Amino acid sequence: MSKVVKAKYTAEAVSGFNHRTAMEEAARCLLCHDAPCSQGCPAGTDPAKFIRSIRFRNVKGAAETIRENNVLGGTCARVCPYDRLCEEACSRCGIDRPIEIGKLQRYAIEQEEVFGMQTLKAPADKKAGKAACIGAGPASLACAAELAKAGYDVTVLEREAKAGGVLTYGIVPSRLPQAVVDHDIAQVEALGVKFEFGKDVKEADTEGYDAVFIGTGLWGTKIPDIEGKDLKGVYAAADFLKAARTTGEGFDPGKKVIVVGGGDVTVDCAVTAKLLGAEDVKIVYRRTLEEAPGNMTEFQYALQLGIGITTGMAPAAVKGSGKVEKAVFKGFRDEGASLELSADTIVFATGQGPEDMTKVVPVTVTDKGMIAAGEDGAAGGKFFAAGDIVNGGKTVVEAVAAGKEAAASMIAYLEKKGVN
Amino acid sequence: MAVKKDLSINYLGVECENPFFLSSSPVGSNYEMVAKCFETGWGGVFYKTVGIFVADECSPRFDQTNKEGLPWLGFKNMEQISDKPTELNFENMRKLKRAYPEKIMVASIMGSTEQEWKDLAKMAEQAEADLIEGNFSCPQMTSHAMGSDVGTNPELVKSYSKAVTSVTDIPFIAKMTPNITNMEVPAIAAIEGGAASVSAINTVKSITNIDFENMTGMPVVNGKSSISGYSGAAVKPIALRFIAQMLQNEKLKDLEISGIGGIETWRDCAEFLALGCRNLQVTTAIMQYGYRIVEDMANGLMHFMDERGYNKLEDFIGLALGNIIPAEDLNRDFKILPKFDDNKCIGCGRCYISCYDAAHQAIDWNAETRRPELNDNCVGCHLCLNVCPVQECITPGEIKWKDGREQVDIALKHHYD
Ligand SMILES: Cc1cc2nc3c(=O)[nH]c(=O)nc-3n(C[C@H](O)[C@H](O)[C@H](O)COP(=O)(O)OP(=O)(O)OC[C@H]3O[C@@H](n4cnc5c(N)ncnc54)[C@H](O)[C@@H]3O)c2cc1C
Ligand SMILES: Cc1cc2nc3c(=O)[nH]c(=O)nc-3n(C[C@H](O)[C@H](O)[C@H](O)COP(=O)(O)O)c2cc1C
Ligand code: SF4
Ligand code: SF4
Ligand code: SF4
Repeated sequence: MSKVVKAKYTAEAVSGFNHRTAMEEAARCLLCHDAPCSQGCPAGTDPAKFIRSIRFRNVKGAAETIRENNVLGGTCARVCPYDRLCEEACSRCGIDRPIEIGKLQRYAIEQEEVFGMQTLKAPADKKAGKAACIGAGPASLACAAELAKAGYDVTVLEREAKAGGVLTYGIVPSRLPQAVVDHDIAQVEALGVKFEFGKDVKEADTEGYDAVFIGTGLWGTKIPDIEGKDLKGVYAAADFLKAARTTGEGFDPGKKVIVVGGGDVTVDCAVTAKLLGAEDVKIVYRRTLEEAPGNMTEFQYALQLGIGITTGMAPAAVKGSGKVEKAVFKGFRDEGASLELSADTIVFATGQGPEDMTKVVPVTVTDKGMIAAGEDGAAGGKFFAAGDIVNGGKTVVEAVAAGKEAAASMIAYLEKKGVN
Repeated sequence: MAVKKDLSINYLGVECENPFFLSSSPVGSNYEMVAKCFETGWGGVFYKTVGIFVADECSPRFDQTNKEGLPWLGFKNMEQISDKPTELNFENMRKLKRAYPEKIMVASIMGSTEQEWKDLAKMAEQAEADLIEGNFSCPQMTSHAMGSDVGTNPELVKSYSKAVTSVTDIPFIAKMTPNITNMEVPAIAAIEGGAASVSAINTVKSITNIDFENMTGMPVVNGKSSISGYSGAAVKPIALRFIAQMLQNEKLKDLEISGIGGIETWRDCAEFLALGCRNLQVTTAIMQYGYRIVEDMANGLMHFMDERGYNKLEDFIGLALGNIIPAEDLNRDFKILPKFDDNKCIGCGRCYISCYDAAHQAIDWNAETRRPELNDNCVGCHLCLNVCPVQECITPGEIKWKDGREQVDIALKHHYD
């Protein structure tokens, strides 16, 4: 029998460093010249510099470096795919294994909280320009922070009740505790950024702002058009995760849960269901594991929790009277194959798409519905956009990087416009 | 930059933007190096020692000690003074001072006769040095008329200090050797000879490792090696001790000492300052890590000051000195028992082994629970606390007063990391 890990939905799955273990890890760092790790971070968090600070016992300085470069440093420390960013680039791989950069970053930010540090402060000199950021996800938060640091008046307009976007309404709290997200957001608030919640933005709402950033992410849900898709118990991933995040430990995912898909979101849905008490959780993916876009460590974590993974089967129908009772799958390549599983809940984590952005703001969209914005975020006139709604759905750190980039363009735009 | 504190300090009448200086060694031995260190944030440099004698060096010339995978606990070198022409060195100093007028240039010199000391002092003056340091302390000179053989001879220290101060008004700092029992003796001699202050320490005579391939010490030079200077983290405790003893000496208590020896972090800096130093010098850590370490020294020190509400270095310079007292004056009326946190304990049993084999058999090992249990033999030595691998698992606990002793309020240390 395999040893299955028992965990709680809101309890963080991985423990962090304390001072001593952080020093041990920092002592492994080679303090490279031209450090590849720093070049490997999209958001410019500069791991080589903050690890050096930890190594030389300047933990506060480490936290300062992280915060100044990446306002969502605490969040990124938990959810970044290091294995293909900074840690993959780490020179230490040439000796044995990379420095645990994410965990050191987490340690520094935890100490920042312990010390009650307030690194980011808005300048005393305020500029005349007024900017709005639509959505309170990573891209907008990073953009808003940069604008506020430059002295602009910034308002974030969010339709949900809380800030964070996917961080608050998507990612499983055992990977990213809400307190970590809230602590990061508090840094943005400390810069004087204003938040308006419950605001489903339409073009009219952007009047009166000199520049507008769009960081609306991908919240259009996609459920395949199959028999039974409207039965009770059928969810799109985003709705399922959001329901779990807003309800918390009291959320009932059903006893038998099937999650359809092969990405990280799939795993998050499956883990959410398991941690919230589902007895039997299965992931069903139409291609092979090798082709799955999800991170292998996440799949491994799902396996450790006792979640099963079936590949090669695509959803064909959902059956039941009034509510889900069964799910029917057909072989994706193996044409004769079929599979029928009983279930209370079926979650389709088969990709999220954009909502119709042209209904929100006057922007051009691509054939996939993403906002057509340049590398610098410019989306026409006073509009700028970045994050998932431009790149089609990538990572938190890339949203932060693009949000920073767009902020720089907005500052240049506002300066040119003369609202300084 | 989130934290900003004033790190400037007046050292021997010279305004320094910060107390972080390179100590005299290869880290500051030509124009480009010193220019780069200034750009990185160092406040000044004690330029590599210049003599009339130009060194002829051996190869290789370095070794290091390590323990359980941690390299560079200590560092050994067999270098002497500058191997570059005397005039070129002074010319570099002058150019650097002109290019970086706000940075402080200290000329480190070493003569072998009174006349040489005078000539070098004059050259330093012409090079527009802000201060002059006399190297009385290199332990591996190829001539006994120079280096630590001079530094251990108070008459020579005094007469050479006099030679320098008789020809120039630039404040003179005598650099002390730790290869001596009482550093106060040569320090007093230097002051009597007119020196404005002293710096300490230079390197400690050492043999770091024996090489069995050649049956000699390290580094191996043609199958042989020599006793030579040891520096780096391992010598910091020795440096702090000498500095405290000098500053507690009635004749030396007002000296503006420049502290040297194993400084790597802001914490080390704060320690030397807390004992009373007004200037800090570094070599080995730069040899290992480069000039960039000054960034965390400065930033870390600012955070430290911010945390404690200090606005300038003077606010805490010397605060620890008075609390270093003779062993006979310590309160010996109590013992502090160690407290074991069973939840943090991982059951390794190291405390048990050390207490049994090296202390007082005061820990019983519960093999069932795999936890230590303290018995009545404990004397409160805290060997267990020092050996436990888990942070703050063993901490100071109950205070026990010895029979018949007067109970008073005592100051405790609470946090170990
Ligand atoms: C389940 C899941 C797990 C993930 N795991 C990871 C991971 O481990 N690591 C990683 O790096 N990335 C992960 N990602 C991807 C990452 O979360 C996204 O790339 C990132 O959040 C994108 O940020 P964003 O700011 O562009 O958009 P979002 O985070 O989607 O934020 C957009 C915000 O805009 C708001 N909004 C939308 N329209 C409007 C409107 N009209 N008016 C007002 N507000 C509006 C939304 O409510 C939302 O708050 C995951 C994504 C999901 C869905
Ligand atoms: C390679 C090397 C060369 C040195 N050369 C000199 C020198 O020329 N003059 C001098 O006064 N001290 C010299 N020193 C001693 C240092 O200046 C310093 O006093 C000593 O190394 C202790 O400080 P540290 O632990 O920071 O290295 C040298 C040290 C090293 C390691
Ligand atoms: S690449 Fe790795 S070893 Fe080099 S500085 Fe970065 S974390 Fe350290
Ligand atoms: S450190 Fe530089 S000078 Fe010294 S041996 Fe190596 S390459 Fe040569
Ligand atoms: S040394 Fe520390 S961790 Fe190990 S048994 Fe003793 S108390 Fe426990």
